[in-house]
Amino acid sequence: MAFVVTQLENYLIENQARFYRLAYSYLQNREEALDAVQTAVCRALEGRGSLRSAEMMRSWFNRILINICLDMLRQKKRVITVAPEDLTAGSYEDPLPADETLINRINALSLEEQTIIKLRFFEDLSLKEISEITNVNLNTVKTRLYSALKKLRISMEGEII
Amino acid sequence: MNELKKARAEYEAVPIPEELANIVQTSIQQGKKNYWQKRLKQGFAAAAACLALTFGVLNLSPTAAAIAADIPILSGLFQILTVRDFQKQEDGIDYQVSVPEVKAEGALAQQVNAAIQEQVDAHLARAVQDWQDYREAFFATGGTEEEWADREMNVVVDYEIKSQTDTSVSFVVSLAEGWVAAHEERYYYNLDLAQNQNITLQMLLGDDWVQICNDVIQREIAASVDEQGFSMFFAAEEGGFVSVDENTAFYISADGTPVVTFPKYAIAAGAAGMPEFPIVVD
Repeated sequence: MAFVVTQLENYLIENQARFYRLAYSYLQNREEALDAVQTAVCRALEGRGSLRSAEMMRSWFNRILINICLDMLRQKKRVITVAPEDLTAGSYEDPLPADETLINRINALSLEEQTIIKLRFFEDLSLKEISEITNVNLNTVKTRLYSALKKLRISMEGEII
Repeated sequence: MNELKKARAEYEAVPIPEELANIVQTSIQQGKKNYWQKRLKQGFAAAAACLALTFGVLNLSPTAAAIAADIPILSGLFQILTVRDFQKQEDGIDYQVSVPEVKAEGALAQQVNAAIQEQVDAHLARAVQDWQDYREAFFATGGTEEEWADREMNVVVDYEIKSQTDTSVSFVVSLAEGWVAAHEERYYYNLDLAQNQNITLQMLLGDDWVQICNDVIQREIAASVDEQGFSMFFAAEEGGFVSVDENTAFYISADGTPVVTFPKYAIAAGAAGMPEFPIVVD
């Protein structure tokens, strides 16, 4: 166990920048991203009993971190209130303007799709790991990845035209 | 795919805040602390359940005895009474307080009662202070009223009679505080009320008491080392056990065996709790 703890600590310290970036990509806010990393690291050590093997460490920790980010996003959503008179017709429009950069379009995807794209292409995780992290079976992950890519490509093509 | 590369570059260009390394370090420490506290709490709950069971069977619990017979532990020379007994919630603190008092003739009982009173008062005052400090820190670091409402602190004062005869009693008063940090202190009293004196290890074990205790404790510590060479006990040069002395705490178990105890962290890692060593003379 002591060995696992040291390994976990090293892993967390070595990859802290990655965790921050991933958290930031969801929350788009420096303080909140730091908060998310802090909570995730603390929770990881606290709940290290649920880490079954060192090989699972990466997907295990990313799962903790992503769940925290998603929780924070949900909480934020709950808190933001908009007076009816402030709601313009634009609020209901497609939040994916074609001239946005790809990163912004990725961020405009559903959270499930975002997660898959980010983990696969920015964090270089395997689809199997992504399936473990998101607790979604491998085939569904694949389907979502393709549909997300299609959405992004459609937007890309839209940009060219 | 080229655009994906660009997106990745953008993703990776997010500047890393300077304080990240520090935050990760402190979170690791906090997480480790929480891990042990959780495990200790579970251990504590299990131990408490065991105690409750034993007491239930033996009907030794002062509270149970008092309820059953409407009189506390009785003996010819003395009584142990619960003088302050309350449960209340105030300002987010959950109090469970049972304070014992020794009712007997003579100066010893008075001294002991005064000492207990002082310990309990200090404990309650400290708990309130700790809670206030925590509250301030909580809001200063951006906590909200809503989040604060979920928090509570437990303050427990309790006692346990370890053993008694017609003329003597051995009991422990425990003072605990539980919130982000858990903290427990125990005070042991071994009283000979016929002679009006504190019972010492020397009285129980003879003039060689230091040697006898040290032999037993050192043997136990040596036996605790596992196959990997790991022991919860600190080495003597790291501030671990060296020798018992007049201030070493102990109680007398039901069969008359003195049991030497050490506070948490005194001679072993926190995970070892409060180590106890029955001093059985063979």
